[in-house]
Amino acid sequence: MEKYFDVSYIVESVPMLIPFLKVTLMVAGLSVLFGTILGFILAAMKIGNSKIAKKIAYGYTTILRCTPSIVLLFLTYYGIPAIADNFGVNLNDIDKAVFVVITFSLQFAAVMSEVIRTSYESIDRGQFEAAVCVGLSNTQAYWRIILPQAFVVALPNFGNSLLELMKEGALAYTIGLIDIMGKAELIIAGNYNTHALEIYLALAVIYWILSIAIEQLFLKLEKVFSKGKQVITTT
Amino acid sequence: MSEGLDYKFLVETFFVALSGVPTALFITIVALLVALPLGFLLALTRINQFPVLDRVAQIYVSFVRGTPVIIQIFIIYSSVPLLLASIFEKYNIEMNVYDVNPIWYAFIVFSLNTTAILIEVFRSAISTVSKGQLEAAYSVGLTNVQAFRRIIIPQTLVVALPNICTATVNLIKATSLGYALSLQEITLRAKVAANVGYNYVEAYIDIFLVYLILCSLVEYLFKLYEKRLSRYRAVGI
Repeated sequence: MEKYFDVSYIVESVPMLIPFLKVTLMVAGLSVLFGTILGFILAAMKIGNSKIAKKIAYGYTTILRCTPSIVLLFLTYYGIPAIADNFGVNLNDIDKAVFVVITFSLQFAAVMSEVIRTSYESIDRGQFEAAVCVGLSNTQAYWRIILPQAFVVALPNFGNSLLELMKEGALAYTIGLIDIMGKAELIIAGNYNTHALEIYLALAVIYWILSIAIEQLFLKLEKVFSKGKQVITTT
Repeated sequence: MSEGLDYKFLVETFFVALSGVPTALFITIVALLVALPLGFLLALTRINQFPVLDRVAQIYVSFVRGTPVIIQIFIIYSSVPLLLASIFEKYNIEMNVYDVNPIWYAFIVFSLNTTAILIEVFRSAISTVSKGQLEAAYSVGLTNVQAFRRIIIPQTLVVALPNICTATVNLIKATSLGYALSLQEITLRAKVAANVGYNYVEAYIDIFLVYLILCSLVEYLFKLYEKRLSRYRAVGI
């Protein structure tokens, strides 16, 4: 009888999985890009004076935070083509990666809008006033004084959200995207559903290493950017 | 091809999805019951730098936070039956591994997962309570247990509550992955109902609504509890 658990499968599957890391990272990267842009808009709506815009932005965040990624994923995957169909546009042949990027951009935007808002609000109002006092224009004050400080505050949360996004991205296999998780499923199917455990362990190790690498990168970044930060030391 | 939404199906399936709520809540509650005390104890080992255990807790947290939940589910789902099978074989227990209710696997996965998240939550919360509080409690003659029960834990809870709320909501959302364990919860029930007539859009709208209601409700309850607890909040410095 064959062995239940065979370590050699773990070792063998890693080189097969690594090339598909590209897809995972690309989807995550694009979602971060679009999500951050949308997050900026939402944060601006939350900070701004318009009451309606505020309501919309907060409502959006609440709704998106209450929706499991997998549900949102399927909702976009089935919903967008159905809506487009009503306007006579056929979206059925579109690349699945597009739906994944849309889903995670929407989700990331909700998280990012909170990250941006809180980091903006953590900067003392006096900083802006002082900047305007010394003769900077509004744009200059935002660009040179507020943004660099808010950026440092936002960095750890941004890193965490990015990790979260990357992990949630593993669900993209459910709509048939061949990323690293999808490839793992294919390998398992190719083995007639045996030795699934070994493949999943290999996958877990890859994700783990990736997460630690990203975490360390953000710690380094934080150190680099908080150089000029003045901290009120309390003893 | 598209004829708009099938409203009759939409309403019917909403109740089908709603019938999965008890399962989702059951898993959530069991996972929290396991994870809250365990997370708190392991957080204490991290803070007091208890030898060996604190390293184990650290690696454990790093692993759980560094890998997707779905992979954790698959790992448990494919490893625990193997272990069980070998145990059953060894002790000659007459039981088929495949008869085990998948909800047990869900308990294991989500308890382990939530424990790791709560370790971090409690760790940061405990470290916000100043050491002087514990010393003051000792100096007025409280025992270790009393000091923790009456002084440290209430203050920790106030700080930790918003994060526990987030963890709970995330847990409820994560139970949607129970489909991988063929668990009869919200997502799977609605999806099965949709399989008949390919009404996937309607089914997912229903699932979306159910989770929205459920999570908003949980958030609201936590807000209420937070208000009650806030009398323990340290005022001043």
